[in-house]
Amino acid sequence: MWLRVDTFAYTNRLSTLHPAYKVGISALALGVCLAFDQPLTSALVLGVMWVLMVGWADIPWRAAARLLTAESGFLLGGVLSVALSVGDVPSGLEIAGLGIRVGVSAASLQHASNVFLRVLGSIAALDFLALTTPVPDLLELLRCLRAPEALVEVMGLTYRFIFVLLDSLERMRRAHDVRLGFANRRAALRSTALIGANLFIEAFRRGQRLELALRSRAWSGSLRVLPRAYTHPFRR
Amino acid sequence: MKLTFRDVYVAYPGTSTPALSGVSVEIVAGQRVALVGRNGSGKSTLMLTANGILQPQRGTVLLDGQPVRYDRRGIAELRRQVGVVFQNPDDQLFSASVYQDLSLGPLNMGLSQAEARERVLRVAAQCGLSDLLHRPTHSLSGGEKARVALAGVLALSPRFLFVDELINDLDPWMRKRIVRLLCELADAGCAVVLATHDWALVRAWAQHVIWLEAGRVLRQGQPSAVLAGPECSDLESAPC
Repeated sequence: MWLRVDTFAYTNRLSTLHPAYKVGISALALGVCLAFDQPLTSALVLGVMWVLMVGWADIPWRAAARLLTAESGFLLGGVLSVALSVGDVPSGLEIAGLGIRVGVSAASLQHASNVFLRVLGSIAALDFLALTTPVPDLLELLRCLRAPEALVEVMGLTYRFIFVLLDSLERMRRAHDVRLGFANRRAALRSTALIGANLFIEAFRRGQRLELALRSRAWSGSLRVLPRAYTHPFRR
Repeated sequence: MKLTFRDVYVAYPGTSTPALSGVSVEIVAGQRVALVGRNGSGKSTLMLTANGILQPQRGTVLLDGQPVRYDRRGIAELRRQVGVVFQNPDDQLFSASVYQDLSLGPLNMGLSQAEARERVLRVAAQCGLSDLLHRPTHSLSGGEKARVALAGVLALSPRFLFVDELINDLDPWMRKRIVRLLCELADAGCAVVLATHDWALVRAWAQHVIWLEAGRVLRQGQPSAVLAGPECSDLESAPC
């Protein structure tokens, strides 16, 4: 799912739009959700974000829906505790021996649905940003905003290394799998531990080799790169 | 323009056996050189020494007759002239997008953004990457990554290009494409040193062969002379 989000970030219709616009839209939507504790407002934000993602950015609706559904699943788990009331709940269940009643009241249900919509609206605002903006563009924006250079470079290298290490992880997993490394629970546990340790070492080795390659390209300590050419809808 | 190794000794820290032991070779501008030898024979060490990443404990590396200085300025100058493309492209691509990765070298050289952009577009066209410029590096195929790694070094406009087994894992079509590109570079006056185990390619492509064995130059010269002898014909005979 994460890799697909990354792919959409590069291939959507807004990928060349300056990231400041997308961050602005996302921040505004997030702000509205947080500032107005109204279910209608949250639902409106959710709807607007959906239109922007599917209609404007041309993200396939199935992908957007799957992402929001997955996030809703996590959210439901959290909201459940809000929906449950403890104490004076006439229709609730009594926990034997403790005299405590647990149940769902109309007020708690309303509160839980408000929270659910509010958080889902906020998540949709962030999804819009994640699905339409490649990470390097966000780093470029941070650079423009004068974030510390070292921080931006570390973030960039971390992003790059996620894919390199995922690739290594997959190769190691396959290598263990073909030697029956995941044949039973005991073997799987052992293989997972070995892969984890090897991946740690591999990360160091990769880092060393990357440093060599950077040095051979006249690297002077700073990873200066050219900014992308973005489109600005309001600039002629 | 030439790059000369004169009786060069290089040992890695903590090892008693030198990785290069009295190596003397000369690489001339525009030459197509093949570097052959077993794994661990010192091919990669020779490349790292040529680029100034490793410094010889004994002997001298000369660039155009002048000994290389290992101070900051000397190293920077050496790296402008001598580029190295490593075996695994994933170890070289540091940036998330092709365009940004290619721009690292030119900006490190102190070029302006406009000059760097011009150079990025030029090497991208040269390596057939113009359509991939804004693609994330992690989404590229092996052959595309190899070309990006090569283009990243070419963006420095080196006069000596060392390519360390980059084409070994590529399909024949991509290999041919990259070898053709290396030919064009040599024709344009850049010395290309290709480390490879593909002897057929060495015979067809190289003008000069350096055969390393345990850190020493076993033989060097024209392919027909270097790749002759019973050990070569034994290696090239049918395996079964």
